[in-house]
Amino acid sequence: METIKSVLDLFSVFILPLIIVGFPLYGIVKKVPVYEVFVDGAKEGFTVAVRIIPYLVAILFAIGMFRASGALDFIIDGLRPLLGVVGIPPEVIPMGVLRPLTGSGSAAIVLDMINQFGEDSILVKMVATMFGSTETTFYVIAVYFGSINIRKTRHALPAGLIADFAAMLLAVYVVKLLFT
Amino acid sequence: MLNYIWAGLIILSLVFALVSDVGDLSKNRYRNGDPLPVLLHFEEGYRAGAVRQPVSVTIRSSDYSAFYGSDAADLNFDGMLIQASGGRQIQFADGESLPEPLATIRTETSKRDELLRGKLPSAISPGAVDVSTGVVFPRVQFVKMTAITRAAFDFAETAVTLALGLIGALALWMGLIKIAEESGMLNSIVRFTQPVIRRLFPEIPPDHPALGMIVLNLTANMLGLGNAATPLGLKAMEELQKLNPSEDTATNSMVMLLALNTASVQLVPPVLLVAIMGLAINQLMAAIIIVTALSAVVAITSALLLGRLKRYSKDDPMRINQTEAA
Repeated sequence: METIKSVLDLFSVFILPLIIVGFPLYGIVKKVPVYEVFVDGAKEGFTVAVRIIPYLVAILFAIGMFRASGALDFIIDGLRPLLGVVGIPPEVIPMGVLRPLTGSGSAAIVLDMINQFGEDSILVKMVATMFGSTETTFYVIAVYFGSINIRKTRHALPAGLIADFAAMLLAVYVVKLLFT
Repeated sequence: MLNYIWAGLIILSLVFALVSDVGDLSKNRYRNGDPLPVLLHFEEGYRAGAVRQPVSVTIRSSDYSAFYGSDAADLNFDGMLIQASGGRQIQFADGESLPEPLATIRTETSKRDELLRGKLPSAISPGAVDVSTGVVFPRVQFVKMTAITRAAFDFAETAVTLALGLIGALALWMGLIKIAEESGMLNSIVRFTQPVIRRLFPEIPPDHPALGMIVLNLTANMLGLGNAATPLGLKAMEELQKLNPSEDTATNSMVMLLALNTASVQLVPPVLLVAIMGLAINQLMAAIIIVTALSAVVAITSALLLGRLKRYSKDDPMRINQTEAA
């Protein structure tokens, strides 16, 4: 386990420089005009970033309003007894609700819980595992679909949310299993 | 679905803000216009003519709970008494932590600093050292209403900052990918990985570059390389859109890619989590790998099964195109 982990860690340090150097190097070997091709491709970066702006604004301002209104606390209070039945501690529910909505907000929850319960507490392990196991679904949908102007997202959101919910439950159970 | 959730978020925000503000008003939570009993202490006695003089302010626990109906310990602050033609004003508790609802009163009434300001309506006799009097704070109402309006504008701005912040990483990766495309590197990745990947994306024809982009995107995700994964994912989306007969409707492949992205197997934790947890992350790696592997299975299954449901499959652009062609 330890050796696998250190290999992976090493890999994650070297993979980026390897790609950044390796791609152009391979291109040169294959006689591709690398500089021109790079610039040609990089041009798209700007247009893509600008294209996603309306989608991001739409999603983020609605989420921002929702958080500011206090509705989130109400929902979390409502979920508490429901999720208690399946063994979810009430302290981790804010994370589960907030994680698909905002990345920075859920990172703040992890930090806050470390201050409150200490790094070694099982609750912190649960929320950190949740954070590491899921993505900011609404943000990903806005950015990915926004970049190609897709407005009818069909079952993307339900599928993403089902996966998020599963990850939240699993994080609680797996951490319980491994650390108690 | 997204339409309803989006509208729901906005409408619920308004409803909740309204309910909570009307509740505050009817309960008179902020005691607008009423004086809060305080004890003032002037070290050198009160000077009637001075424009500014230091004062220490004490709010007794019993007065506080009787006035606001919420508990707090005895509060003690240094402050400044300011006298002008408009009357006596007191400023105190600069940046110190306050109990509710005083904390909200402070944030709502001082925009630029962290001072609590209030008027002293009753007269003080010159030379007095200890004075028992009342402070009237500025009116506070519709706190949540202002908050959601402010949040809407703030987050609109955040969205633009976020998007523009992506430009650099996007340009770098799109440039590199273009080189990989032109040099034939992507083709080899496609040929090597498509037996596995095409099972999840049956709509993509064999040897299509979209497969290569998907592989690169998923790999970057697994290695926790967020700023490389997004540009690669967007590139994969672009390739998938080339196969899409519709202009604005997602295909099954796109939904699958998205599901895999929101629940990707994580072999190396995301950079942000490492920054937060420090070395403690080491213990969590096994848990994260297990959870992400299982939730990726859930994501794949739900993307596949939901895509078969009638309410989603009837809009499938690939299927509509096929029936039209036939």
